[in-house]
Amino acid sequence: MTRKDRTIPEPKPLFVERMAKLLKGKDLEEFWRISKEPLTPSIRCNTLKISPEELKKKLEDNNDWILEQPWKDCPEVMIVKGKKPTGHEKEILREEGLAKLAPGELGRCLEHMLGYFYVQELSSLLPVIAMPPQEGELYLDMCAAPGSKTTQAAAKMNNKGTIIANEMAMGRMRILASNLERCGVTNTIVTRKEGQALMKRLAKTDLPKFDKISVDAPCSGEGTLRGSPKTFLMWNINTVKYLSKVQKELFREAFKQLRVGGELLYSTCTHSPEENEEVVDKMLQEFEDSIEIIPVKLPAKTRDGITEWEGKRYDERVKLSQRLYPQDNNTEGFFVSRFKKLKEANL
Amino acid sequence: MSAPTETTTILEGKELKKFKEQLEEQFGITEIPGKVIKRGKEKVFLFTGDFTEKEMKTLGYEVFVERAGTYIAKDMEDAFRLSIEGSQIFKNQITKNIVELNEEEMDTWMHGSEVLKKTGLKGYVVMKYKNDMLGCGKASEQKITNFIPKSRRLKYKLA
Repeated sequence: MTRKDRTIPEPKPLFVERMAKLLKGKDLEEFWRISKEPLTPSIRCNTLKISPEELKKKLEDNNDWILEQPWKDCPEVMIVKGKKPTGHEKEILREEGLAKLAPGELGRCLEHMLGYFYVQELSSLLPVIAMPPQEGELYLDMCAAPGSKTTQAAAKMNNKGTIIANEMAMGRMRILASNLERCGVTNTIVTRKEGQALMKRLAKTDLPKFDKISVDAPCSGEGTLRGSPKTFLMWNINTVKYLSKVQKELFREAFKQLRVGGELLYSTCTHSPEENEEVVDKMLQEFEDSIEIIPVKLPAKTRDGITEWEGKRYDERVKLSQRLYPQDNNTEGFFVSRFKKLKEANL
Repeated sequence: MSAPTETTTILEGKELKKFKEQLEEQFGITEIPGKVIKRGKEKVFLFTGDFTEKEMKTLGYEVFVERAGTYIAKDMEDAFRLSIEGSQIFKNQITKNIVELNEEEMDTWMHGSEVLKKTGLKGYVVMKYKNDMLGCGKASEQKITNFIPKSRRLKYKLA
């Protein structure tokens, strides 16, 4: 799809109003401008099967792709800037003098079929980078489909230790299983259960508690406008409020199943404070001295979590959460927050 | 794997021994880097997680467990047929029954078609193109039958 083919629906007035409370002036203009631009494709090398150097060479030699590794400490992450032009792409030449990839080209190539890489948007790489699991750990991916973060976590763990990858919806679970297989992930158990219910069931067993839990919560997707413009149409304030409740429940139940000293990463792909800082604030209140919010180190430009929204004041520690706006790194939008369990809570 | 899991077993004792011997005989594979799990009569998975059989059963009683590990082979009764992942995981151990493909043959293979090639081999063979392992085919006198699943096939001609 070329840029002129993209039909971008108009955002709803309330959404526009809310974004104007989060961002001001040129920053806000930039947000709206980039939200209507298509994303630059990016991939993550599956280091369980191939090294980044080998993959880069293969993709450049076999497919004529021009790749860039934007983050020095994460050579597995690559931006596909375009293709070497052949002279037949008059309409799709980009400003950089490169030919644009054909729709679906990334997912159709041999190297993808063989599981050498995963097509993954830069912002969605951040939760695992923010809290990388280690070999030998017990790791839970609570909302795992389609598997981008689970496969990334398995690669960090070098297929050692155990991952439980949970997904509630059958269709999405099949996609998850298929991606795990294509990527050669051997240390993962795939379960199907609604997240809170899974945690309650696990609480009744003598299974070990988790070293790390990723709660990449279902959200209103305000950060995904570039990849999925239909979000403009689907956005609804009632959904935001409903999801905020679900997110708190997911976090609460997940945190209980963390071992003392274990860590939890909460993330969403939305900007709404009800689904981000409000969740963090609520959990800091509820778990009191059992929980500690810890700083996250990311390779992208991020902004501190906000401490005030529509007349509500949040705990100052919420600032340690990080917001990622699309205009800051030419990505989608995201939110991450990392926590440590200091002791068992009396809840 | 479903809960409670009757058709899923972690291979042990004689069954595991048979699997290992068969892989060694067919492909020269001597080391299995994890637990071998059989689902149903045919599907073989490799699981490298730390969960014990008891822990997996406990989990299976509480929630629906779709699978553990990755599908690596299909039990064809008289032999095992490695999946793409199986051939990649054992890449450095496979010493027997390898068919090296040229670019054109690889293209044909990855499109899901049989490869017309006399190899002098019979039965399951591992397909290899340069450094890439491409799963198993079944060699007969004139051709190699293709088992690449539809979802993993190329849909366009390579340049």
